[in-house]
Amino acid sequence: MPADALLRARSLTKRFGGVTALDRVDFDLYEGEIHALCGENGAGKSTLIKLLSGIHPFGSYEGGFELRGRPARFESVADAEAAGIAVIHQELALVGEMSVAENLFLGSEPVRGAFIDYERMLGQSRELLRRFGLAIDPSLPAGSLGMGQRQLVEILKALRKNSGILILDEPTAALSEAESRRLLSILRDLRAQGISCVYISHRLEEIFALADRITVLRDGSTVATLRREDADPKLLIRHMVGREISELFPRRRAARGEAVLSVSHLSVEPEGGGRTLEDISFELHAGEVLGIGGLMGAGRSELLMHLFGAWGRRRSGSVRLAGAELACGGPEESIRRGLALVSEDRRRHGLFRGQDIRFNLSLSSLERFSRRGLVDSTVEGAAALSMFSSLKVRASGIGVDVGGLSGGNQQKVVLGKALMTDPRVVLLDEPTRGIDVGSKQEVYAFINDLTDSGRGVLLVSSELGELMGMSDRILMMRDGHAVGEFSPESDARALIAAALGHA
Amino acid sequence: MRNLSLVAALALIVAFFGIASPEFLSPRNLSMLAIELSITATLALGMLLVLLPGQIDLSVGSGVGLLGGIASVLVFQRGWPAPAAMGASLALGVLLWHLMGRLIVGQNLPPFIVTLGGLMVFKGLFWLIIGNSTIPVVPGGAHNLYSLLTTYYLPPAAGWVLAAAAGSALAWTRVRERSRRRRLNLELESGELFFLKLFVTLQSLLLFVALMNQFRGIPLPVLLLAATALAVGVLTRRTVFGRHLYAVGGNVEAAFISGVPVERTIVRAFTVMGAVVAATGFLQTAYAGASTTTVGELMELDAVAACVIGGTSLRGGRGSAAGVLIGALIMAALLNGMTLLAVSPEFKFIARGCVLTLAVWMDSRFHAPARHIS
Repeated sequence: MPADALLRARSLTKRFGGVTALDRVDFDLYEGEIHALCGENGAGKSTLIKLLSGIHPFGSYEGGFELRGRPARFESVADAEAAGIAVIHQELALVGEMSVAENLFLGSEPVRGAFIDYERMLGQSRELLRRFGLAIDPSLPAGSLGMGQRQLVEILKALRKNSGILILDEPTAALSEAESRRLLSILRDLRAQGISCVYISHRLEEIFALADRITVLRDGSTVATLRREDADPKLLIRHMVGREISELFPRRRAARGEAVLSVSHLSVEPEGGGRTLEDISFELHAGEVLGIGGLMGAGRSELLMHLFGAWGRRRSGSVRLAGAELACGGPEESIRRGLALVSEDRRRHGLFRGQDIRFNLSLSSLERFSRRGLVDSTVEGAAALSMFSSLKVRASGIGVDVGGLSGGNQQKVVLGKALMTDPRVVLLDEPTRGIDVGSKQEVYAFINDLTDSGRGVLLVSSELGELMGMSDRILMMRDGHAVGEFSPESDARALIAAALGHA
Repeated sequence: MRNLSLVAALALIVAFFGIASPEFLSPRNLSMLAIELSITATLALGMLLVLLPGQIDLSVGSGVGLLGGIASVLVFQRGWPAPAAMGASLALGVLLWHLMGRLIVGQNLPPFIVTLGGLMVFKGLFWLIIGNSTIPVVPGGAHNLYSLLTTYYLPPAAGWVLAAAAGSALAWTRVRERSRRRRLNLELESGELFFLKLFVTLQSLLLFVALMNQFRGIPLPVLLLAATALAVGVLTRRTVFGRHLYAVGGNVEAAFISGVPVERTIVRAFTVMGAVVAATGFLQTAYAGASTTTVGELMELDAVAACVIGGTSLRGGRGSAAGVLIGALIMAALLNGMTLLAVSPEFKFIARGCVLTLAVWMDSRFHAPARHIS
């Protein structure tokens, strides 16, 4: 390996308010190297990428980068691109209606005079595709390609800009087995051509099949950088999980009552994207938190959304809520029957920005405050106010616009909206994602209150510590299947092995 | 706050025309202005209900002509009694708009296109039904309910009685709500502010009645507008349906997950719009005295303009009945004032367009909501 790194990060520290996302992280990348980054969700991988790619501009963090031995300041995405750094994000940035060629040349279309030179664009695209052995017709609309091919087009788009450094954020999360293998072999080809690659993945087998070196992040710090020859899956998992964390999760066991939600042999077909669910069975009891673990894309959110009636077509199996059959009849009916959902995407599925806290809290339970369609705003206000104070939302009153609240407080409002329907079963999808430590503790306290009052809670979490700390039982999922039930006293490594499929 | 700046803009417009043309503030002209305002504002209030859930209705102008025209034809050519003719036309309006709403949500079509289609279809039907001729709302020189819509004035004494009744009802509900809020420990505005607001409202009510009584009394359209405004205000602020309108327009995915019946809410907004279009059709046709091919033309744009000037967001989720009333008043005052100054139609259009653009620019400049990151 050459002595001089192509890219070197020195003591990067990035804070969001009071939360330290990266703490003096060092990282380097050599020419023609594939360097894997791994760590649990929230370990700081995405933050590191955002610094590298100029999304968080130079000056908003401490420490700095060197490129070929010279200090480099990435003050914008354009700066990083000019330095040859390209990020392939999880959400792909192709325009579905435009052709593959148009996508490849988006923003730098070849022109002849004032007009786009389509012939040259098509020709160059064809050559580019041929060079990487891709059998894709560049005149097809990008939207007609499968996920894997779209991913590859995205990579070519970066390579066309002469990027020497590719950053891939979980590129195989949405790919099939064959597509993943294809991608890995192309990455190896690129490495042979001297292109460097930062590769983020939860899939250990990919990391071991591909990476030259592996850096593990945990809680914003670099735990270890290992050569592949020196690492094995067990060691990596130990580095990723690290310390004993159960103290941070003040789970208070409640008396376990009868089954409130019984799911048996549930199979669901996707509707508008998502993972097929296959033969899932479990029971949730009153006063119990059933944790649901697994990788991103394992089907956890789909399971919750389906139970809530908001996603998928049920192929077989049954769901019973407090003994009575629950069809997939839509959120309105689910809420009436006593289900509540707090979705993982708070901004998209939860919040009404531009409206005040009161509006947001009471929206799902308006029927309770109204007679003949007329909302009694004083009763409603009183109920919202009492929820507002029991959730300890930090705002001057319930008349405050939710758009201005911090992430933690927004999450409490979304939680409050679900709880105001007085549910029997609460479905929580990543309830603490992206919120500060203090708010997390309050969310945990609230989960305890829920089970104390005899409700059942399904808790989806990608944070292993949280999952093990807050659940009474844990169901692991992989590729749309339930792959095992664990007690929170189980070894964390066993859970990770189940999620990864490493028995 | 934003309503206050609108009121300031309105005051500027009124002051300008008051100075440029003294006739502008005469009781006679104000009475006419009130009638014109009532017609556009009624339609704009309906438009608010459609814009709130993020929809739009371009067909209302043609609808005004069509539904007014059907009532005229039934009265003048078929000899129906006016109430029956208007009732039938109203029912048809509700049905047509309900069907348009169903088409939009059921087939997942853009409301812009469906109602643009409606604009053309209704216009064609309208011209067919009136046979491209002029159909009076009442046979020669007589009166019926239809013609009285815009020619009846409440006698001065009745006006005062009504004002007293409305004023005390308003004061009573405000005071009662305040005391309930206090009992439930909810936040209260200061006592001074509360009484000041109530006082100003009651004063304006009395001033309005005094002004109208100097001419012929309160025009009937104003009472209809007041009833519509009250209904739309209560609907948007105090009902489950109203909350759902804001929720669907604010974040349709979150609304669905929150258990809001998204499709039903949109269909219902269009259905109510049908009734509002019929009512506006009767007013506008009665004001013109007869159905002619141009009745209702471009009214959809005036309605949207009044909403937007009044702070309604075309993306949905934001807007209020009070804002729309002020927006409609600004548009009506502008038009009326320019007519008094004998401004040519060409420049009237240009001025209205500029005011609309200016209002939206000021809104996005000074009242920009938190940027939405998609």
